[in-house]
Amino acid sequence: MENFFELLWQPFRDFWAGLVGFIPNFLAMLIIIAAGFFVAWVVKAVLSKAFSALSFDAWCDRAGLTAMARKANVWSKPSDIMLKVVYWFLAVVFAMIGLTALRLQAIDSLTMQFFTYLPRAFSALLILIIGYVITGFVSRAVLIAAVNAGYRYAKLLAEAVRMLLIVLILAMALEQLQVAPGIVVAAFSIIFGGIVISLAIAFGAGGIEAARKVIEKSSEEKKESDRDIEHL
Amino acid sequence: MSDFYQTDIITTLHRLGTPRLERLEYELEGFTKQRPMTLVLPALYTEFQADAIKGIIEELKKVRYVKEIVLSLGRASDDEFDRAREFMSAIPYDVKILHNEGKRIKEVYATIDRNGLWAGEDGKGRSAWLAYGYVMAAARTDVIALHDCDIVSYSREMLARLCYPVVNPNIDVVFCKGFYSRVTDRMHGRVTRLLITPLIRALQKLVGGHDFLAFLDSFRYPLAGEFCMITDLAWVNRIPWDWGLEVGVLSEVFRNYSPRRVCQVDISDNYEHKHQSLSADDASKGLMRMSVDISKTIFRVLAAEGVVFSENFFKSLEVGYLRLAEDTMVKYEADATLNGLVYDRHEEAKAVEAFVKAIYKASQVLLENPLNTPLIPSWKRVSSAIPGVLDMLRAAVDEDNR
Repeated sequence: MENFFELLWQPFRDFWAGLVGFIPNFLAMLIIIAAGFFVAWVVKAVLSKAFSALSFDAWCDRAGLTAMARKANVWSKPSDIMLKVVYWFLAVVFAMIGLTALRLQAIDSLTMQFFTYLPRAFSALLILIIGYVITGFVSRAVLIAAVNAGYRYAKLLAEAVRMLLIVLILAMALEQLQVAPGIVVAAFSIIFGGIVISLAIAFGAGGIEAARKVIEKSSEEKKESDRDIEHL
Repeated sequence: MSDFYQTDIITTLHRLGTPRLERLEYELEGFTKQRPMTLVLPALYTEFQADAIKGIIEELKKVRYVKEIVLSLGRASDDEFDRAREFMSAIPYDVKILHNEGKRIKEVYATIDRNGLWAGEDGKGRSAWLAYGYVMAAARTDVIALHDCDIVSYSREMLARLCYPVVNPNIDVVFCKGFYSRVTDRMHGRVTRLLITPLIRALQKLVGGHDFLAFLDSFRYPLAGEFCMITDLAWVNRIPWDWGLEVGVLSEVFRNYSPRRVCQVDISDNYEHKHQSLSADDASKGLMRMSVDISKTIFRVLAAEGVVFSENFFKSLEVGYLRLAEDTMVKYEADATLNGLVYDRHEEAKAVEAFVKAIYKASQVLLENPLNTPLIPSWKRVSSAIPGVLDMLRAAVDEDNR
């Protein structure tokens, strides 16, 4: 009978022992998360002052980043968007660190995955930002060059170049994020290859006459030069 | 108007014979295929509660040559904006409403502001300027016509006559201003009759022959709020946000284009809209504020043209103006008597006295700070400071109208 009662109590004792062992971990998690929010708040306040001093919003306006956000129907100030991103990034990082304090295997492996994925996300973001700047620069250069050359469809050409570069950059960013990399690379190869082949066919078929003239002209020039009298 | 007199340097297009609206509209439909047109309507929400706008919308519903209407709505809440949209939905072609008090447009203003440019205070000038920005961002039309939304006597013939000279490539003008008389049982338009014309002529006496003064004097109704222009003009024009708007627009047209490409057109036999009180003792409201702002604008343009102003100049100007204004009153009294109109000489004399005060106040403002200009920067200037601003504006308007 005594054994039976022991059998009944044992799970409760185990549970209590587990709970007593878990509470410090849980408290540690809460403290780390709270500290994370505090650090995020401090960083946000400091960054807010820095953005204001550096006229970050005006810089974004001039760089065209604000217009890009507006096209995506985001109407907050660029500095506010940035501050929110930094705040929640820090909060999430601290939350992940806090979760490891629970010492649960499933959460530990999730946290590990999160931290190993961070550099990739950061690289993808950099690719997008630098790519956007380069895209703007190249399409503008194409537009100016085409307009100066008197090309009638200059704007269309510049837009086409811009779209092509955006596709390239998006593919690079997605590849970096390892989002269905096989599909991304295949899709990109098909689209990019398709465009290049279309252009090649269009120019090739349309340019047969022009190419023949160029070749004929160069061969005639060669014959002419063969007939030249060489003076000793 | 019964005469066919051509004023000094700009072209005047009169109402002669019995012009047929159907012919004008038929031709406009053809011309606007090559030169599509936008009608800009600056309006306050309070105007949607009045009767005039109902008549305007009824008339605009019948117009077939306007590609789109851009209504720049001021002082409206989000609910009022929705009601205005519903109201305008009766028009069978594209209508875009700019919600000046909406969060997106406010953010556009904030963006302009933080880049060291200022779009001015809320008012007709800023509303019209923003609407021009949207028209250029949308890039669908080549011609912009503008009129107010408080015209009680509106007919679509006004619009047809106003835009015809700019839309018709054979006439080839870049800017066309409407003119009309404002008569009920008496003559209205005190600021034009008793301030602007005598002031310009008094200035001509002191300064001598000056191209800008001759240009301004050529307009029969320089304060008319109805005009039509090519879109390029909206790109380079800097317009005042205060009551100097109409004169400021004329000064920019004068600065950027030859007067040979400017005209005025008789758009209506009679024109009726709301009347302003004189407010002679308070220079911050009513016709007094309008008079101060207009005088300031004229003085500032002349200063920019190289005219040197001084205390003594303005003393002579006030005396010269007063004499000319009194002479003008005599002429209008005779005109009113002949036509059987009421003419309150005392009220007119009080208005002239108030306008003298307005000229004095404007002169003091100019002498204290000649660089204090209430001009909204041109879209060319704004776009060079913030390259994506027009895209941003377009996104804001399109999203508000979705």
